[in-house]
Amino acid sequence: MSADNDVLISVKDLCKHYNGGAIKALDGISTDIRKGEVVVVIGPSGSGKSTFLRSLNLLERPTSGSIIFKGEDLLSAKTDINKLRQKMGMVFQHFNLFPHLTIKRNMTLAPMKILGLSAEDAEKRCKDLLARVNLADRIDSYPSQLSGGQKQRIAIVRALMMEPEVMLFDEPTSALDPEMVGEVLEVMKQLADGGMTMVCVTHEMGFAREVGTRVIFMDQGKILEENTPEQIFTNPQNDRLKAFLNKVL
Amino acid sequence: MDALTRIVLETAEPSGFFATVWAWLLKTWTSLKLDFINNFVTGNRYKYILKGLGVTFTVTFFATLIGIALGVIVAIIRSSHDKLDDELHPGLGKTVLGILDNISRVYLTVIRGTPTVVQLMIAYFIIWKSSNNKILIATLAFGINSGAYVAEIIRSGIMSIDPGQFEAGRSLGLNYIQTMAYIIIPQALKTVLPALANEFIVLIKETSISGYVGLEDLSKGGDIIRSLSYSAYMPLIAVALIYLVIVMFFTKLVSLLERRLRNSER
Ligand SMILES: Nc1ncnc2c1ncn2[C@@H]1O[C@H](COP(=O)(O)OP(=O)(O)OP(=O)(O)O)[C@@H](O)[C@H]1O
Ligand SMILES: [Mg+2]
Repeated sequence: MSADNDVLISVKDLCKHYNGGAIKALDGISTDIRKGEVVVVIGPSGSGKSTFLRSLNLLERPTSGSIIFKGEDLLSAKTDINKLRQKMGMVFQHFNLFPHLTIKRNMTLAPMKILGLSAEDAEKRCKDLLARVNLADRIDSYPSQLSGGQKQRIAIVRALMMEPEVMLFDEPTSALDPEMVGEVLEVMKQLADGGMTMVCVTHEMGFAREVGTRVIFMDQGKILEENTPEQIFTNPQNDRLKAFLNKVL
Repeated sequence: MDALTRIVLETAEPSGFFATVWAWLLKTWTSLKLDFINNFVTGNRYKYILKGLGVTFTVTFFATLIGIALGVIVAIIRSSHDKLDDELHPGLGKTVLGILDNISRVYLTVIRGTPTVVQLMIAYFIIWKSSNNKILIATLAFGINSGAYVAEIIRSGIMSIDPGQFEAGRSLGLNYIQTMAYIIIPQALKTVLPALANEFIVLIKETSISGYVGLEDLSKGGDIIRSLSYSAYMPLIAVALIYLVIVMFFTKLVSLLERRLRNSER
């Protein structure tokens, strides 16, 4: 029982079909995500990693299956999806900062409009978080004035403003110049060390090995293998996983 | 003196030639002056132009405001219907949105499928026939008409915004309306601002049909002068020039605006 209490997100038989079933982006995914876990999702292009991640906060609406988040069924008509999304931060490959708003406004908009934070409280939270990613001096900048690495660090703390219980990352470093990958991974590592529950789709095998607590290997909409990073990288079982690792390592 | 020069000098008769030109100029000038006095000064006829100009501006300005308000609403309904179809569970909300979407479609089809002048006459002689406030009715008619075109402009603006912006807003927990209001619409309006300003310019010219319902706008003012002075040339050319100057002025303004927007953030 006590183990079950730790389950934050429980996914069962999740399917996502396109074109009336001709394309099975997700083909029966089942897994549990527990508090404090750093789950790294790997797999070849088109294997359904993004679809899986985006299903978790219903940016993608699954065709069938169930997602239980903190005991609530995400797919039930009675669930207030906006409320649940506040508890799930999301970081995108292309940052998706709001270009017409300053960094401060990017970060304080949602907490003020949704959580009802006062301007002072929101600003304080914003400044604390900016200091943590060494961007305190960019509070009044616009996103266009920042480098890619800076943008992504802002995107991460923007999500943290809502004090989420889980953070979802979809290839957060894939759009970055190589010299900026490190600074973003560093922030993610800090976050993991602080006990944040994380689900990360990434091609950074170093990060998966060092920070991940569990690795999920997906191909053709299915989970083919999931295990500790140690086992996945040193003792892979599935043939397609072996072939995949041979290519990327 | 060679033969050629002599021939030219003899046939041209310089003094006689210039005299003719001078006489012609004098005659034309006098007749223009009389024409001008007859058209604009006598009985203070210039006031038809001035008042008409005021009416044209008033109708255009307020019709643009109505058009933008209506256009934003219709554009949001139309794009919400597409975007929310996936998200909404069957129920009252979905039904209402479906009905609003259908009303919007009919509105767009009817307004864009019929001539503006016919819409104006229907507004004046049928819909608001009990009212005699011509300016108000024309403003409403042009506003409703413009709203249909503005709606399509804004909808294209909404569609031009990266879907990632919408997803970022929603993933933070903002609901659909908040995401549209704080994130999508401000960016969409910024991208279509020049197109909206162009709509204002189009409307300035479009209101020239106001005379059909007896509203004395700039064009009608010129026409009234023509009927009083029995001369068409001067009032009509004057009216045309005034429109031209106004349109050129605002076109210049729009291109300055476009350049500002291009140079600003983003
Ligand atoms: N809107 C859509 N319509 C049809 N097919 C889609 C759609 N979105 C995704 N797919 C398909 O679903 C499959 C999974 O896509 P997904 O984006 O989840 O893969 P991925 O593992 O994230 O790949 P990548 O590493 O390239 O990001 C792919 O075959 C893709 O073509
Ligand atoms: Mg992907």
